[in-house]
Amino acid sequence: MTSIEIGIVVTGGLLLAVVLGMRVAFASAVAGMIGLIWIFWAKKSFDPEDFSWALGVAAKTAGQVPHSKISSQALSLIPTFILIGYLAYYAGLTKSLFEAAKRWVGWMPGGMAVATVFSTAGFSAVSGASVATSAVFSRIAIPEMLKLGYDKRFAAGVVAAGGTLASLIPPSAILVIYAIIVEQDVGQLLLAGFLPGAVSALIYVALIVGMALIIPKLGPPIKGYSWKDKLKSLPPALPIVAVVAVIILFTYNPFGESLGTPTEGGAIGAFIVLVMAIANGMTFKQLTKAILDTAKLSVMMFTIIWGVLIYVRFLGFADLPSAFSDWINSLDQSPFLTLALILLAYAVLGMFMDAIGMMLLTLPIVYPTVMALNGGEAVSAADSVFGMSGPMCAIWFGILVVKMAEFCLITPPIGLNCFVVAGVRDDLSVQDVFRGVTPFFIADAFTIAVLFMFPSIVLWLPSLAAG
Amino acid sequence: MSGSASVLKDNSLLSRIDQRLYKLETGLALLGGFTVLGLILLAVVSVAGRNFFSQPIPGYIDWIEQFMPLIAFMGIAYTQRDGGHIRMDMLVNQLKGRVLWFVEALTTVIILLLVVLLIWGSWSHFERSFDFSAPMWSRDSTIDIGLPLWPAKLLAPVALTVLSFRLLLQIWGFSRAFLLNQTTPIAVPLTEDIETQARKEADQLEEMGGK
Repeated sequence: MTSIEIGIVVTGGLLLAVVLGMRVAFASAVAGMIGLIWIFWAKKSFDPEDFSWALGVAAKTAGQVPHSKISSQALSLIPTFILIGYLAYYAGLTKSLFEAAKRWVGWMPGGMAVATVFSTAGFSAVSGASVATSAVFSRIAIPEMLKLGYDKRFAAGVVAAGGTLASLIPPSAILVIYAIIVEQDVGQLLLAGFLPGAVSALIYVALIVGMALIIPKLGPPIKGYSWKDKLKSLPPALPIVAVVAVIILFTYNPFGESLGTPTEGGAIGAFIVLVMAIANGMTFKQLTKAILDTAKLSVMMFTIIWGVLIYVRFLGFADLPSAFSDWINSLDQSPFLTLALILLAYAVLGMFMDAIGMMLLTLPIVYPTVMALNGGEAVSAADSVFGMSGPMCAIWFGILVVKMAEFCLITPPIGLNCFVVAGVRDDLSVQDVFRGVTPFFIADAFTIAVLFMFPSIVLWLPSLAAG
Repeated sequence: MSGSASVLKDNSLLSRIDQRLYKLETGLALLGGFTVLGLILLAVVSVAGRNFFSQPIPGYIDWIEQFMPLIAFMGIAYTQRDGGHIRMDMLVNQLKGRVLWFVEALTTVIILLLVVLLIWGSWSHFERSFDFSAPMWSRDSTIDIGLPLWPAKLLAPVALTVLSFRLLLQIWGFSRAFLLNQTTPIAVPLTEDIETQARKEADQLEEMGGK
């Protein structure tokens, strides 16, 4: 057996283990460990006396990975972003944001739904977790929409779809993970997510307003907020804007030199929210709870990261990624078509897997392939196939994959966000939510097509920052 | 995909050990969590110091890198206890009774074997940098201010050892459920369907005071 064949068998075994329900982090580490033992032992022609040698070398090779890969400054953004999310609830940011959005955009056709989209977008900014966003807004936004006589399914669709905005607008933990795995600049990816996130939100808004104009009974506007009401609602919601602004300013300052690293920007954002939460009366017990939840979610993500990196270490020995990308590149079809097919495969995969697990499991093989399609990691924009330099292609692909993963959260049959909304609301069945979310599903497909065809939406901010 | 579950308790020996270990695991997870808070405060001090007092914290990045393993590893057993490491549960959710407990016990045994190998490997990673006769007992150090690396390297085998105890307990729990053909075994994470998870999450957030 060649090492590439070993790579294929082990990768097949890994997918099987994941489907059978083994925890993703450990399944990938097990696959990596078995693969390493196999490859080292094969070098000794499977001599039984050398098995313990192979075992030792594999254990030591894998054993370095957790410490050496985790001790990175950029990775500290993950727990920081998670903590911001948990503290945001205590800081009372959710309701104040919704209240402000309601007063400012409620006059539009479908106003309350528009307000929901804006506040989910803003809330995503501090929570970075799609499912949590949908769960929260099922409780606060759906009842208000129903009170105004909104269509039940429409209201549910808005909330399920709004939740998907979380992973593009900074702070996004998933973009940090992508950057780490593909070894690209974290700050640039965070910047890159901002415009596509905003575009997605605006497309949702346009869709809601359009639908409400055509079928007025879907979502009647709300009237009667004075300018005084509007202005009064702003201060409590401002910290959210501050958090996003700080992170962007620390990565890229349009007025001159950047103020620091994204890590520092994230930390200052977290500090703002922490102060808000304490001012809002958070008890020490609540703080401890938020901290414990942060620890748990962070460990979950870090364990997948080092687990997958053990598997990646093995893939390196097996030479599988380069073999796969050679094969894809030898195909006689347009690289654009290949890329589109890869994204489509993510859409299918995303129906069954959660975004982080899906990205981490596939990127070690898919990412080098996409880079090779474009002409290599170090290619210049002029010589490239997709018309962008290697690092820019990495950013563009990352945003597309993350948007794809989000898209899957509202895709039948098992779009997670829809189940969450139905789970929280007893009066809505999953079918109701899926029916309500369909227009947003189509809008998202449109957004992805736009980002695919006009990469400059993704790349404008990062290329400014790159100078 | 799920990463949450409930764990039942009773007065049996298994459950008592489970709850003892859970206390230790919670303590370690809290240590990791408060480190996050510490890093945030450190960053604020660092930025303020650099920009307002021209007094940057020496070795700021070195410190972050040394503290990261605390965050990344210390809660690993706590997360395993509560079923917090995500997995694809479509198939597992279809299984019931003995088949389910058998599959769970089997995958847990495989994970335990992995963890034992990793304890070995990460310990030797630590040993290579630890030396009683060297300054600060260390053969290697960080780039900027020369912090010894061995304390951070030691955290991986320590956390993995606690995890191995947790896995042993879970193997015990799942095997007992298999042998006694239980429907609601104790001390192991029980899978929940997506709607229950969602409702729990929303309840929890509400309780947290989404004022």
